[in-house]
Amino acid sequence: MVARDRLEQLRGKFGSAIQRVDLPGDSRLFVFVEPSVVKNICQYIFRDLDARYVISIGIDDRPFSGNFMVAHNFAFDEDHLLCSVLTYLPSNNPKIDSISDVVPAANWAEREMRDLVGIEPVGHRYLKRLVLPDGWPEGEHPLRKDFSWDHVPKEFNDEREFTFDEPPEGCTVVPFGPFHPTLDEPAHFRLYVEGEMVRGCEYRGFMAHRGIEKMAESVLGYNDIPMLAERICGICGCVHSVAYVQAVESAVALKPPPRAEYIRTIMLEIERLHSHLLWVGLACHIVGFDTLFMQSFRIREPIMWIAEKISGNRKTYALCVIGGVRWDITPVLKSELRQVLDKLEAEWREVVAAVSKDKNIQKRTVGVGLTNRDLVKNAGLVGPVARAAGVDIDCRRDHPYAAYDRVEFDVITAGGGDVWSRLLVRMSEVFESIRIIRQCLERMDDGPLQSPVDGELPVGRMGLSSVEAPRGESHHFVITGENNRPRRWRVRAPTYQNLQAVPMMIKDQQIADMTISLGSIDPCFSCTDRLETIDLRSGATRVWSQRELLELARAKEVRR
Amino acid sequence: MSHGVISALLGGVLNVGLVLLLAPLCQGVLRKVTARVQSRQGPPIWQPYFDLLKLLGKEDIESGESPGMQRFAACLSLATVLSIPCLVPMGFAAPMNDVADVYLLIYLLALCGVCTLLAGLAAGSTYSLVGISREMMSIIVLEPLFAIALLVGALHTRSFRLDTVLNGSVYATDGFPWSGLIMLGVILLSFQAFVQRVPFDISEAETELMEGPLMEYSGPKLALLKYAQMAKLVIYSALFVGLFVPWGSGEPFPWNCLVFAMKVFALVLLVTLVAATHARYRIDQAIRYFAFLLSIAFVALVLASYGH
Repeated sequence: MVARDRLEQLRGKFGSAIQRVDLPGDSRLFVFVEPSVVKNICQYIFRDLDARYVISIGIDDRPFSGNFMVAHNFAFDEDHLLCSVLTYLPSNNPKIDSISDVVPAANWAEREMRDLVGIEPVGHRYLKRLVLPDGWPEGEHPLRKDFSWDHVPKEFNDEREFTFDEPPEGCTVVPFGPFHPTLDEPAHFRLYVEGEMVRGCEYRGFMAHRGIEKMAESVLGYNDIPMLAERICGICGCVHSVAYVQAVESAVALKPPPRAEYIRTIMLEIERLHSHLLWVGLACHIVGFDTLFMQSFRIREPIMWIAEKISGNRKTYALCVIGGVRWDITPVLKSELRQVLDKLEAEWREVVAAVSKDKNIQKRTVGVGLTNRDLVKNAGLVGPVARAAGVDIDCRRDHPYAAYDRVEFDVITAGGGDVWSRLLVRMSEVFESIRIIRQCLERMDDGPLQSPVDGELPVGRMGLSSVEAPRGESHHFVITGENNRPRRWRVRAPTYQNLQAVPMMIKDQQIADMTISLGSIDPCFSCTDRLETIDLRSGATRVWSQRELLELARAKEVRR
Repeated sequence: MSHGVISALLGGVLNVGLVLLLAPLCQGVLRKVTARVQSRQGPPIWQPYFDLLKLLGKEDIESGESPGMQRFAACLSLATVLSIPCLVPMGFAAPMNDVADVYLLIYLLALCGVCTLLAGLAAGSTYSLVGISREMMSIIVLEPLFAIALLVGALHTRSFRLDTVLNGSVYATDGFPWSGLIMLGVILLSFQAFVQRVPFDISEAETELMEGPLMEYSGPKLALLKYAQMAKLVIYSALFVGLFVPWGSGEPFPWNCLVFAMKVFALVLLVTLVAATHARYRIDQAIRYFAFLLSIAFVALVLASYGH
């Protein structure tokens, strides 16, 4: 079925409520509908047409159309189609029917929309704050256009502690995080524990919200944003950079030259290689198998070196610009990359052979952190977590981008839905990545690295892009705008969906399985820190607040 | 003072000194070999000595529920561990042979576990409490194993004397030593748990419980607890050697000491290799595993009481 047929289905069911349709090609569909039918149409798309929920986006469009906007994005994976259901809301007191009881995966997205844009999801069952801290004043919404990017409300109290839900009766609370040796990034889980069994948990995250989207919408230019996007994640930065430029390119119908597409593919797969190797190592470390952790990192290191040779950096590649790439892969680099891949493949085969036969690791991972097809569907899980539960989705094949339509590879799935299956999927995907890079090196022709961009990019166009990150689909939504920057840029990292399912995955499991269950989605939070100093002579302690640390860091000279 | 008391005291001091001296070295070897298995350079073999010295020299921070009890627990832990070498032959005969017996040895071994419980309980944080609840569960099924091994030896030799039991007594039957060989297997399979290493470092489990009972400890107190843990490796190895592989201990000095050191060293290597090639078990899996070993140990005990 193609986009046009899907549109006919929607028209047949909701004919008069559909106000406007934008069909820029066979792979993108934008449907503008009346606010009153949003919930029904989402239910129809999600349940009856069996589309996958991607993300919901709140947009302050008042300076341009005088309205607020809400977009619910869905993916028809088999039709290779990304679809966005949009609606305009009045500028005073914007409200929309919550879709989270028919699409449970929209839980966080709607809470975030309420926090940051101030659009009230009516009928949402758990309207606790998600992104904003508890000390943030009511009625201040940072992603509104009249909220300056550097404004901090006077009433903001950054010392205020979070309010937590009451634990169920008979359970004790085991705090997990904000800082825990296996988390490496701040996130707080309050586990409700009965003996050794976890009965439930509450999650508080977003402890280091950096306002990246706001900065892009108000300060930076189109070609600065890829560098910022890359810094969203400490592991899969290139993914975000590619997803952003592709979203812009799809909005303004700009096609990068073939060589650039091949280079993007190669760098994305290099990133997947190092990420999967890192994850297998960390998973082993979490269950106490440090030898494999060390060996994994040893095998991974040459990948980092070749990435540095290509881009000048081990990890933050600074690869993309709108319409192309910045780095070329020369014949010398090509042959070096081939050697690295050969060595990696041989060494990884040994690791996979060792792990596959290891009864000891299986004991800790089989039947742990269970998901099933229902949970994948309802929570919108993506990537290896979905594939390990037998759900055959992969953006590289389903929504082809860069040069993925010109290479052959298999989408690895497994049936167990547990940590062991996720381990098997990730280990096998390493071989597929090697295969993809080899084909790219083979087929890449000479040619330019960037397509010329003439003048300003057109304004008010919408673009969607889904890129398969090592952790799952990374989805970017862009509306182009004035002053050489987008009006709205929404990033949905794969962890955003996968993390929502962790409470379900760890329920009625042992505390010991908590870390590996959480680890198995390969979570990716973001980082900041606080600092305590102790004056040795007086013994007085002093906690430095975030603001003081920033002042210290920005002062030209720090006197001891 | 009689000659016997003096020699017992001297021997005790010698053995305690030997354990204090050897324990960090064994830890150093363990760390170095682990590093090599993991393709790492690894710290120098002497690093554990420096680590302990550094910890001992640090400020004694009092964090936790009851600081006094915590200090007591840390001291008691090392003190208990160090009283065991007086009862165990380490190259020479057991120094306190005439005044102590196998019962005392069993009690002292049990007290080691109790010290960990005390340390965790006194610290009182959530993770410590989870850690000691795990420790408690494993003590219940784990501690009887070594006690049964000692009892099997005592049954065979009809004696609770240390020098008799800790001299390969488990094999001292007229026919084929069934019970002794079974116990050898049982203790080998549970040895990692006695010395608190992967895959049975469950109560400390860094990646789950952040060191569990030890979480609130730092500086000198941590040094004592760590020292006790290192000493445990040497002492359990010595016990194992005395009970199951006594051959060569009758040789004249210095060969007896040399043979003993070789055997302990071999055990340390074994522990290292097992730890480096395994993932940590979950508490329920471990308990099931220990319980299975315990049932086999009871079979051995029954066999031993019928003289097999």
